[in-house]
Amino acid sequence: MSMDDKQQPNKNIDENFDEDTTKDKYLTFVIDGEDYGIDICNVIEIITVTAITWVPETPPEIKGIINLRGSIVPVIDVRVRFKKEEKPYDEFTCIIVTEYNEYTVGLIVDTVNEVLLIPEEAISSPPNAKLKYQNKFIKNIGKIGDNVQLLLDVDKFLFS
Amino acid sequence: MADFSRESMLDMFIYEMNQLLEQLEQLIIQGEDGYSMDEINEIFRIMHTIKGSAAMMLYDNVSKTAHSVEDLFFFLREENPSNVDYSKLTDFVLEGMDFIKAELGKIEEGSTPDADPTDIISRIKGFLQQLKVENGKASPEEAAQAAQAASPAVQTASAPSEAKAESSAAQNQASLNNRYIAKIKFEEGCEMENVRAFTLVNNLKDVIYDVVTDPADVVAEASEAIIKKNGFTMTFSSDKSYEEICSLIDTTVYLESAEVQACALNRYSAIIKFEEGCEMENIRAFTVIHNLEDKASNITHIPEDVVSEASTEIIRRDGFKFEFSIGKPYDDVYEMLYQTVFLKELHLEQIKSESESTEAAEVKEAAPAPTPAPAPAPAAAPKAQKEEKPKAAPAKKKPEPKAAPAAAAAKKQPPAQQMISVNIGKLDHLMNLMGELVISEAMTTQNPDLDGLELESFNKSARQLRKIINDVQDTVMSMRMVPLSGTFLKMHRIVRDMCKNLGKNVELVIEGEETEVDKNIIEHISDPLMHIIRNSVDHGIEMPEDRAMLGKDEKGTVTLEAKNSGGEVLIIVKDDGSGIDKEKVMAKAKASGLLKKPEEEYTDKEIYQFIFHAGLSTNDTVTNYSGRGVGMDVVVSNIEAVGGSIIVDSAEGEGTTNILKIPLTLAIVEGMLIKMGGTKYTVPIASIIETFKAKQENVFMDPDGNEMITLRGNVYNVVRLSEFFGTTAEVETIEDGVFIMIENEGQSVCLFVDELIGEQQVVVKSLPKYIKKIKGISGCTLLGNGDISLIIDVVGFFDK
Repeated sequence: MSMDDKQQPNKNIDENFDEDTTKDKYLTFVIDGEDYGIDICNVIEIITVTAITWVPETPPEIKGIINLRGSIVPVIDVRVRFKKEEKPYDEFTCIIVTEYNEYTVGLIVDTVNEVLLIPEEAISSPPNAKLKYQNKFIKNIGKIGDNVQLLLDVDKFLFS
Repeated sequence: MADFSRESMLDMFIYEMNQLLEQLEQLIIQGEDGYSMDEINEIFRIMHTIKGSAAMMLYDNVSKTAHSVEDLFFFLREENPSNVDYSKLTDFVLEGMDFIKAELGKIEEGSTPDADPTDIISRIKGFLQQLKVENGKASPEEAAQAAQAASPAVQTASAPSEAKAESSAAQNQASLNNRYIAKIKFEEGCEMENVRAFTLVNNLKDVIYDVVTDPADVVAEASEAIIKKNGFTMTFSSDKSYEEICSLIDTTVYLESAEVQACALNRYSAIIKFEEGCEMENIRAFTVIHNLEDKASNITHIPEDVVSEASTEIIRRDGFKFEFSIGKPYDDVYEMLYQTVFLKELHLEQIKSESESTEAAEVKEAAPAPTPAPAPAPAAAPKAQKEEKPKAAPAKKKPEPKAAPAAAAAKKQPPAQQMISVNIGKLDHLMNLMGELVISEAMTTQNPDLDGLELESFNKSARQLRKIINDVQDTVMSMRMVPLSGTFLKMHRIVRDMCKNLGKNVELVIEGEETEVDKNIIEHISDPLMHIIRNSVDHGIEMPEDRAMLGKDEKGTVTLEAKNSGGEVLIIVKDDGSGIDKEKVMAKAKASGLLKKPEEEYTDKEIYQFIFHAGLSTNDTVTNYSGRGVGMDVVVSNIEAVGGSIIVDSAEGEGTTNILKIPLTLAIVEGMLIKMGGTKYTVPIASIIETFKAKQENVFMDPDGNEMITLRGNVYNVVRLSEFFGTTAEVETIEDGVFIMIENEGQSVCLFVDELIGEQQVVVKSLPKYIKKIKGISGCTLLGNGDISLIIDVVGFFDK
């Protein structure tokens, strides 16, 4: 059983990846100049922004639904979710299609950077001071050299 | 290997069980007035299969319940008793079935089926005993005994069949801590013999220990073939009696034969005669004893002093007699002794117990063997005898030796495979792919790149493609269609139960049950149909004496009819009962404050619609079935959930007719494509009454700012779709937009939209789970160009 947990699908990033190679890997993306990372296990594919159909009575961050080769996928604007100012989508804007607990959701980000290996020892918890402005969507902070990656808590991001 | 995964088997199990139960229910209801032999056989077979499957899945309580019912029908089949209370029998079987159904429900939900079947089993057993007594097949004492046995003791041991119940107590006590050998053969074609064998071992694990199996690794793939070929042999120790072990093993699924042999120190008596002239008989006899000493205990022999010279003569004359106890079955012992050099005659008896040693013992005479080397004839002899052995040696056959093979044969060779069962998920997926295929086809053939080109050959091919895709689409749709017969036939049971409880006499007539409807829809109409039928029987049909007084046939009739009508299916439930009392309904409606206009203005049809309101029941007395006023509103909401509608008509004193209109399928909707604020929406055509353009002067506003429109003298509410969904429209002025009048439950509103695009069939897709349910939107669909269009849920516009 424990094997299954690790064997999260990772189909389109790199065909050569197997379950071991997804360990400690993060897809990094940019929101408002800041680098964020998302566990590669949750990522299905990256697409450019396509036609988004707006759906009524949804929270503002849900921009609508897209047609991803026949399946209907809701998309969330990460900027709106992070309460940042919206900006028009350009040629760098990407949708990261993620899968989490049977939910498939697209995340609209400013742009994606690369897949980074961040070993466990390079990851530290966010500051423990419970300050008001602390971002609840950040699970951990990863360090690669001088760069800092804010690692996204997908569960909280989608469901809180 | 203790817990191998059953998940994949579980689905199949549940499916199979449901099928069997459905089939069973039909048979039972049909046979309530007496079963034909065929029906008894069929019911027996079904129960046998249920028992088997459940035991394989380790659902003991289900298996035991099925077993007890099976016993009941075993008796019916074997004895063909004349004096049977079929009505009571039916009650018992239905009760047993309901128990199994309830347990199945739990399994489906993923919880453990843990209800205790002891009560129902003991009652079924009691009934069986009663049957036996009444038909002179069992003495009253036995009945009393069995009744006792049916009480708590049954809880642990699996229900022993009557044959076993007669077993002598002596043996039960004697055989503590015994070693047994069990040779199991499964029915041919049952498949997965290795798993079945493992299940058996697993089932017994609480009562047996020191288990040695052959093949050793039961679950290994390779074992399947071995078990199939040679059967499955297990040797084990247990403190259970022989009978208990047998009965436990007998519950095994698809068991063809089980041969259990107690290897418990059986006592044998043997007489060996040596060949004449072999000399030194005393020494030879001693050798036999000496060889035995390792394996057997308690050896006594005549003469006592074997080695003495005097014994030679005695042995030569009378043979060498000896007795011993050994934990081996008869055959093994026989073979062992048969190896003795210069053996002329071997006479081996098994002594069962002191009192019945001669009667019960097995006697086997070997043909004289001239040489120690086994000549062909004697070698064959023990084999031949082996086959006719089962009488005395405690070899245990199934209690229903005839039943199992017959049932197996029926199951094994279905008349050439005409049907397969497919997971509905796969069909849904195929349906989705079909939808995409249609869209891609449109995207290809109407590709903008082709504009303005003369493509005669291409167009020809495209038309061909279109035609094939249409055919495929029809076929895919038809695959999801299921006849209504299953749902209809279930209603027999409801009518039967109600008649019994209410003392009414009602016949259910079914017509057009072969009409096919999408699988998803069938699931939704089963409950509403049941409510309507209950209503008809409970409220509609009068008591027999009242009917007689009214000059009607004492037997009431409820007709359940289905027929195709355009893109819809009509399901008509008609009864010849008292009809709906209009005044009563009206009074009730008035009392409940449902009236919205003067009483006189209500048409009959409108009055009848009141019965679908929650909390309104015209039955003054609350019965088990109806009268609480809940039910009919559920009927309406269920029917509407699948896009259907219901109409009631009634003539006082003559009966009531309910007409359910349901769409053929949910997956494809005939829709009107509209545009509003740059987004395309689809409104189901079935809900549209008309579309029209209007002038500003027809639209006016009340003080709260609600817009209304007059059309042909009637006033309707106006709902601007943009306002409803909280977005901005491209068209604001009345003259530029279009009105769509939609209807639900007799109410109408006019939707104001930017533009009509056109009619088209769309494949319904549900919205992603991540998006919560949205009022006014039922799903979405993909358009030819890959765009998404939201499908309007008309009901949402009325639900304030």
